[in-house]
Amino acid sequence: MRRIFISRGHIIGYAAFALAILVVPLFIDDPYLLNKLARYLIFGILAAALALSWGYTGILNLGQAVSFGLGSYCMAMTLKLHTIPIQTGAAGLPDFMVWNNVKSLPWFWEPFHSTAFAVVAGVAFPVVVALLLGWFVFRARVTGVYVSIITLAMLVVVNLVIVDQQRFTGGFNGLTDLADLKLFGIDFDPYSGATYYLIALSLLATLMIGEFVVRSKTGLIMQAIRDDETRVRYFGYDVARYQIFAFCVSAGLSGFAGMLYAMVMAFASPTFLSVQISLSIVIWCAVGGRESLIGSALGAILVTGIQGGLSETPAFLNTWMLIMGALFVAVVLFLPKGLISIVQLGMARLAGKKISALAEDEAPLPRGHKLGIG
Amino acid sequence: MSLLELKGVEVQFSGFRALRGFDLSVAAGELRCLIGPNGAGKTTALDVICGKAQVNGGDIIFAGQNISHFEEHRIARLGIGRKFQVPSVFRELTVKENLHVAFCRRAGVFANLGISAAKANADELEKLAELVGLKESFRREAGILSHGQTQWLEIAMLVAQDAQLLLLDEPTAGMTAAETRKTAELCKQLKGRHTMLVVEHDMGFIKEIGDVISVMHQGRLLAQGTVAEIESDPEVRKAYLGSGGIRGA
Repeated sequence: MRRIFISRGHIIGYAAFALAILVVPLFIDDPYLLNKLARYLIFGILAAALALSWGYTGILNLGQAVSFGLGSYCMAMTLKLHTIPIQTGAAGLPDFMVWNNVKSLPWFWEPFHSTAFAVVAGVAFPVVVALLLGWFVFRARVTGVYVSIITLAMLVVVNLVIVDQQRFTGGFNGLTDLADLKLFGIDFDPYSGATYYLIALSLLATLMIGEFVVRSKTGLIMQAIRDDETRVRYFGYDVARYQIFAFCVSAGLSGFAGMLYAMVMAFASPTFLSVQISLSIVIWCAVGGRESLIGSALGAILVTGIQGGLSETPAFLNTWMLIMGALFVAVVLFLPKGLISIVQLGMARLAGKKISALAEDEAPLPRGHKLGIG
Repeated sequence: MSLLELKGVEVQFSGFRALRGFDLSVAAGELRCLIGPNGAGKTTALDVICGKAQVNGGDIIFAGQNISHFEEHRIARLGIGRKFQVPSVFRELTVKENLHVAFCRRAGVFANLGISAAKANADELEKLAELVGLKESFRREAGILSHGQTQWLEIAMLVAQDAQLLLLDEPTAGMTAAETRKTAELCKQLKGRHTMLVVEHDMGFIKEIGDVISVMHQGRLLAQGTVAEIESDPEVRKAYLGSGGIRGA
């Protein structure tokens, strides 16, 4: 009974969320604001992706910005090649390559003339990187904080390589002056409703993919691994494969988010692969509720929204970081399962009343009833 | 023919020889009890069978296959289930979910993607919960179960796994007399369908469930036989000297 009701609650929750993010543009006339909201939704995708690996599988990936950054560069590379010729060198050579004395387009840039290739690569490349890293890490049974350290180190390495290879990557400046993405005859202007809707639908698709995974038996085994990795082995599951799977799905979704981000920002730079972004994702998940996909996504939207709101309000110019810090501390202290646990608790209470009225023998215990750090 | 055979198995932990040429043979369908003084290597014997401890010498043959150097999940898939001394269940998952994880028919990541966590095999899992008296707690988190209930849940998980060979490490540890009786009942029910290797200290429990008892001492097999034979064995008496004989174990 509980499960059915929870999923009904889930459906209602998702419907309300979908409706909210889809009707918002109807009330917003300001393209700048719309662009900003689109960015928040992208952060929602990132947070949901981390919830999948951290909240459900227990892999605290501090290098998620690698996937995000690689995705954004894939998109930026194709958009750069589609920039109107006046800003580029001979034979469509990107401007920064001309400045860096690069004579011809490097081989790995060639395929990015095709937008379709870039879109596939933006997901596939981060997945392959995650697969390789995951293979070494999880096969060797590295666990816990060591996984976080390795992923963080990976992030720093990739960041340095991109900054260092200025001739091919634009170095510190990244890839700027990008064209709009044109797909199926639609021009995805970063400030347009079309781009906003593309991102909103992507977020909803991400959440659906995530829910599909976590509600399957594979998702159940992922949660069992989070609880007691060793025990799972004695039931016949190859734990490393499940960890690599969760790690890769998370990387693919993050890569996709990166592509959208490059479109919305109209540039890609090494700041997308920063430690700061990686840590922010962790905070979003912690605030929203890392054991809930929609909770994490809402956490990202809420935190970045408040951050944006406060930092642009003159009254809070000097104090907004202090306020954000206090908010994090309060949530982590009093709601270890995140803000979503308030909703879950309320829903479970409602469900409890309904069910106990129907059948006395089955007393439902809400999943989020424990408020202890889990 | 024996289902499980250990031949001269050696296990070392940084110089300490936990098993020193340990031999054991268990026939299919048998319920074998493994006893011995503290430090005799009983738990290590179970660890080495299920792949938790590394074999440093000798062979472990299960159903005709040498599994000495298999990874844990491969050994499990061949049909060996393990219950640990400290009950280890997934505390944040419900009883039902615990049983579902243990119910491993397909081990692959993608094969399991298509299976619903909530709906698949719900009836079978509920029957299993009923078998160990956990029907009322079916949808509760395993973390809130009592110690005894957790032990039973883990046994039910082994049954869900449908392992041919069950390795039970002190299934009655920390149980009240009533709970121990219930566990003995449970073991008797499983007898015949599963081959069982049980490490136990509680002689009352062993007398109730066991046929053949193997006694371990200092990493070796010391004696083997029925309860009466073991109790009168002078070697066994010597090994237990100071602890009041086998009864005081």
